[in-house]
Amino acid sequence: MSTLEKKSPETFVRFSPLQRLLHLVVMIGFTGLAVTGFSLKFSDQWWAQGFAWLVGGAAHLAWLHRFFAVITYGCVLAHIIWLFYFKLVLKGNITGPQSLFPRVRDVKDMFQHIGYFFGKRHIPRFNRFTYWEKFDYLALFLGMNTMGLTGLFLWFPVFFTSFLPGYFINLAQVLHLYEAILAVALKFVVHILTTHLRPETFPVDKSIFTGKTTRERMIHEHPGELETIET
Amino acid sequence: MNTQRIESKNRLPEKMHFWPRLLFCLTFFPALLVPQFTKAAITPHDPPEWFVNMGSFAQSAHGTFSCEKCHGDMKQSGKMHPDSENPSFLTTDALRHYNYQRCESCHKPSYEQYLQGAHAKALLKEQSDPVSTKKLPDNKKAPTCGNCHSSHYVKGHLSRVEIGRQMVITCGTCHPAQAATYLDNYHGKAAVNLGNKKAAFCTDCHGAHHCLSLKDKREALAACKRCHPDATASFAQVVIHPTIQDSPEKDQQKKAHITLIRVVTILMSILVILVVGFFYGHSFVWLLRELHEKLRRHK
Repeated sequence: MSTLEKKSPETFVRFSPLQRLLHLVVMIGFTGLAVTGFSLKFSDQWWAQGFAWLVGGAAHLAWLHRFFAVITYGCVLAHIIWLFYFKLVLKGNITGPQSLFPRVRDVKDMFQHIGYFFGKRHIPRFNRFTYWEKFDYLALFLGMNTMGLTGLFLWFPVFFTSFLPGYFINLAQVLHLYEAILAVALKFVVHILTTHLRPETFPVDKSIFTGKTTRERMIHEHPGELETIET
Repeated sequence: MNTQRIESKNRLPEKMHFWPRLLFCLTFFPALLVPQFTKAAITPHDPPEWFVNMGSFAQSAHGTFSCEKCHGDMKQSGKMHPDSENPSFLTTDALRHYNYQRCESCHKPSYEQYLQGAHAKALLKEQSDPVSTKKLPDNKKAPTCGNCHSSHYVKGHLSRVEIGRQMVITCGTCHPAQAATYLDNYHGKAAVNLGNKKAAFCTDCHGAHHCLSLKDKREALAACKRCHPDATASFAQVVIHPTIQDSPEKDQQKKAHITLIRVVTILMSILVILVVGFFYGHSFVWLLRELHEKLRRHK
């Protein structure tokens, strides 16, 4: 075994170009959805009326909201197609320890990590995706589909009430609103804080944009994955 | 009593839905506590008083009329000055005793629609039972022309949105729950808050002067179809005013739907509070730990 072969790379690929592109588009789409949606919901507020005026009134607000919805849900579809391609054609593993599939270990990791917050335990030896990254991803993936469905109810109420009772539109309205508050709280506060604004990563974790991460960070953040790569 | 009425006339009814507002507030920033300018942007009715403000009157739609055009003159048969010895002197409610047939001479279609409508029917019912009517508070009595329209100060040439915003206050005086739920509905948000003139105001569905309750399902569907031509019977069952105020006892179906909507709202609130609460706490403690380690390293 030559020394050249033994030497491990200094940079690691964390996200594929498609994943980076989808993140970027969802980032823009999600922000657009949040701003236009909340401007309608809280339209009695000065900031909402100011924004509505800026985009040219309620009709444009509605149009923009639907535009952002279509591009955001387009990303979900592209992602699902890629998932099938990855599983069926590339014979990839979508449920293993290095995947985003939730496992019992994530719950243990979470308790250990919380123990670390209080100085009682060490940081768990995380695999490729940590429990909060899995939650971030899966909550958004699930949320996009339910938001998409309830959103369609509100977009085409006449069509949906041709075979469903009228109060389904009211229920869709309630679910759409509360899920929106939940999603925006998780993305705009929790995700940005824990992924980008923590002292460890401040001001921004560039790996989702460049796709690359360093050996130093791998040792620190994903030692479990590094072990698997190097054995 | 009278001051109370003026107060309630000048304000839009309070929002019914408090939870989304509180959750949004807690989640982001207290921007929602900033005064809401829709309320201030709507000019209130001039408070009713004995003297006509001629300055405002001159600028109103009726500003060019002489007093006699609407009030007649004292030479007309059977007319006399009010008797100052009479105990009811100056306490008669002018809004309810004016002869509104005089409005008809210029506003014939509106007057006829009013006579066919729900408000006139309620008025007839009250007139047949004057004893119990007297006990009713002002905002429970059937309205005459003057209760909704200010004859001395009514402005002409208002835009559709200006009329609509005023309408929500006027109708909301007697139907506060309906006005509040309307403002929480897409129609109200687009029309009143964002000034979209294509969105429906009160009378677009209930009819101006007819003032239908739309409890009749065929009438409700016909109202929906004016803007949503392909609407079906169950589209007309979408709850626009989720309130049980003024809804007839027999409408158990609507009550059941409202209960279901409330239960789902409460469950979703609990879910949001639990998930957001957990992750906010999680992130906050994590941040403290990392700050602590960073500072310790720099020592």
